[in-house]
Amino acid sequence: MKIKGVLIDITGVLYESGEGFGHVIEKSVEAIQRLQSSGVPFRLLTNESSTSKEVLLKKLHYHGYNFNGEDIFSPIPAVKSIIKSSNLRPYVLVHNDVVSEFDEFDNSDPTCLVLGDADSEFSFQNMNKAFNVLLSMKKPILFSLGKGYYIWKIGICLLNELFYDSRKYYRHNNKLVLDVGAFTAALEYACDIKATVIGKPSAQYFEVALNDLNVSPNEAVMIGDDINSDIGGAQKCGLKGILVKTGKFTPEILESSSVTPDFVADNLWHAVDYLLSNDN
Amino acid sequence: MKIMSVLSKRIGYVLIDLSGTLHIEDLPIPGAIESLQKLRDSQNLKLKFVTNTTKESKQTLLSRLTRTGFNIEEKEVFTSLTAARKLLENRNLRPFYMLSEDALNDFSGINSDEPNAVVVGLAPTEFHYENMTKAFRLLLDGSTLVAIHKARYYKRKDGLALGPGAFVTALEYSAGVKAEVVGKPEAAFFLSALSDVGGTPEETVMIGDDAKDDVEGALKAGLNAILVKTGKYRQEDENTIEPKPTFVAENFSKAVEFILNHNQ
Repeated sequence: MKIKGVLIDITGVLYESGEGFGHVIEKSVEAIQRLQSSGVPFRLLTNESSTSKEVLLKKLHYHGYNFNGEDIFSPIPAVKSIIKSSNLRPYVLVHNDVVSEFDEFDNSDPTCLVLGDADSEFSFQNMNKAFNVLLSMKKPILFSLGKGYYIWKIGICLLNELFYDSRKYYRHNNKLVLDVGAFTAALEYACDIKATVIGKPSAQYFEVALNDLNVSPNEAVMIGDDINSDIGGAQKCGLKGILVKTGKFTPEILESSSVTPDFVADNLWHAVDYLLSNDN
Repeated sequence: MKIMSVLSKRIGYVLIDLSGTLHIEDLPIPGAIESLQKLRDSQNLKLKFVTNTTKESKQTLLSRLTRTGFNIEEKEVFTSLTAARKLLENRNLRPFYMLSEDALNDFSGINSDEPNAVVVGLAPTEFHYENMTKAFRLLLDGSTLVAIHKARYYKRKDGLALGPGAFVTALEYSAGVKAEVVGKPEAAFFLSALSDVGGTPEETVMIGDDAKDDVEGALKAGLNAILVKTGKYRQEDENTIEPKPTFVAENFSKAVEFILNHNQ
């Protein structure tokens, strides 16, 4: 199979979460350089919705990566393009740092609600306001930027159903907090509606990213450290999935998961090496 | 008025809903005070007053009842908070509370050091990010999630507001757990109230104005149930539930009449 496009998760693949900016994963910078010079198009695919692209780029630059804005595919630009093309007027409950991303839209008499990782903005008042905004819509539309269960707050590590793993994280740094999924679930329950999830593992999200690359799913591969969100999500959409043994990877998670990656790589370098050598 | 099903046994126990059945805010339902007295005067009937409350303590409920003209004792009242307290005591749980200050009065004396349970009622001031995160971490560590009930929303003076059910769902989703709901219409609620007076479901009747929470819930728990057409009752409510009410009464007085006639 010739790979014509690559999607790459950020946290746990390019760098590890930790104090401050965390630390870079060995040989990942070289792997990206190799991919960049190979000419195979790629996108960094993240569920991050609480930092702007600029901040994310700076963080990656700090670790030695050279990306530009269009290399990154994140939920906010994705939801903005949906809002534009469907002519919607959004009410947003997102992190203070990214509220301005939605300045361009008319937000009077809203026709959809955008819920992101709003962190401490998730107060009763704000949630109640969001609830009433949904009730005021003829046909309530709720966009959830990802639907993560919880976040390891030092980084942007989304954890799925992996309690063995998560408890370990929790005990070590005491920084595990609720993610947007909790509050999406609350509004879904209160209004008896289903949210449209803009983020991994939603198939729609992978599709929009592939459209951006102009490749079809069977010509593309996803590289990530989350067996459910990255690998499971990609495979459901028809992509191949390569799991890396960095980030949140543990042998126990791989063993107990119902998802079987197409390939398991030691790290991003190994994954890129596998792809490019297979290619030749 | 028509009899929907025939009671086989003599009624020995009556569970009575409060708001909408005996009173509406500070006004008694016409005839309810006198009918309650009739019920008390009748031989061999045991009463329990049962209600879903997520933010008011028993004391607050009682003082409203007294103000309204009812003569009801504290030990006769069984609320969803009582049910939660019983659950905590029976299983030796130490709670982290997301409850209003008034509701907390019903939990005095319960040890809450090093919590291994999360109790969620209606407490807008407690539903902030920090508390939600604290509750979530406790749940990840294996704590039991107890919901007073799972209302989606409730009516406030300024319109509808998010109910405890929404926040319970948020915690369930993120921690991958299921809450134990203790209020009406859970079968456990009715059985627990009943065990307080020692009755069996077949010889008990529940009287209430809420077709789903009072009547359907009680019937599903094996009790008999009378729906009264006061309070939140809306036309045709009796047809929206399954099984059908034992009896549909105009009001509490008619419900009492039905019981006393049956027992004659």
